Amino acid sequence: MKYHIFWLVVFSFLVSLVFTFLTKYGARERIRYFLYLFACFVFFSILAGWLMYPFPF
Amino acid sequence: MADNLTVQEGQGAVPIAGPAKIFGACVAAALVPGLGHAALQKWDRALVFLGSIGLMFVLGLSLQGRLFDPDFSEFFAALKFLAEAGSGLLYWICWLGGMGAGMPTAYTYDYGNLFIYVAGLLNMLVVVDVFDIAMGRKR
Repeated sequence: MKYHIFWLVVFSFLVSLVFTFLTKYGARERIRYFLYLFACFVFFSILAGWLMYPFPF
Repeated sequence: MADNLTVQEGQGAVPIAGPAKIFGACVAAALVPGLGHAALQKWDRALVFLGSIGLMFVLGLSLQGRLFDPDFSEFFAALKFLAEAGSGLLYWICWLGGMGAGMPTAYTYDYGNLFIYVAGLLNMLVVVDVFDIAMGRKR
């Protein structure tokens, strides 16, 4: 699969899952924190990509 | 915060196991992701860590990532090796089996390397987590 965005989402999902279980306890808190972390990973990765877009290298 | 895993200040941290079991759990965690948590009977975390870190490592290999040799002659090569070796037996079995030659021309080479590095680094955090739980600093 050659889509960068797909692997970005897979990476974000797995890392968010591990961080969530390392730091939170309780299903409700884990779900909230996981969704927040996952969204931050994906959003800021795309944002960083756009910010780097004008760079010539 | 009731949902925070950290033991509250003032409660005092009491080890939940003896030194031998703490050491054994940390070694188990370093060798196999999640095994240290299983030794401490934290089954949900054990399953998640084994599944997530194991999957990251396998995906990294399937994306043509490279397993770096134990080479300490160059600083960055040593860092790459240390990060990957954090996965424990996953790294050593695959490395000894000749897997992970890596293909730098592959479209997914960088992603593959990243997945393998991060799998090892996350497992290092998992080992620290096992130590904290065993020492009674976390639930």
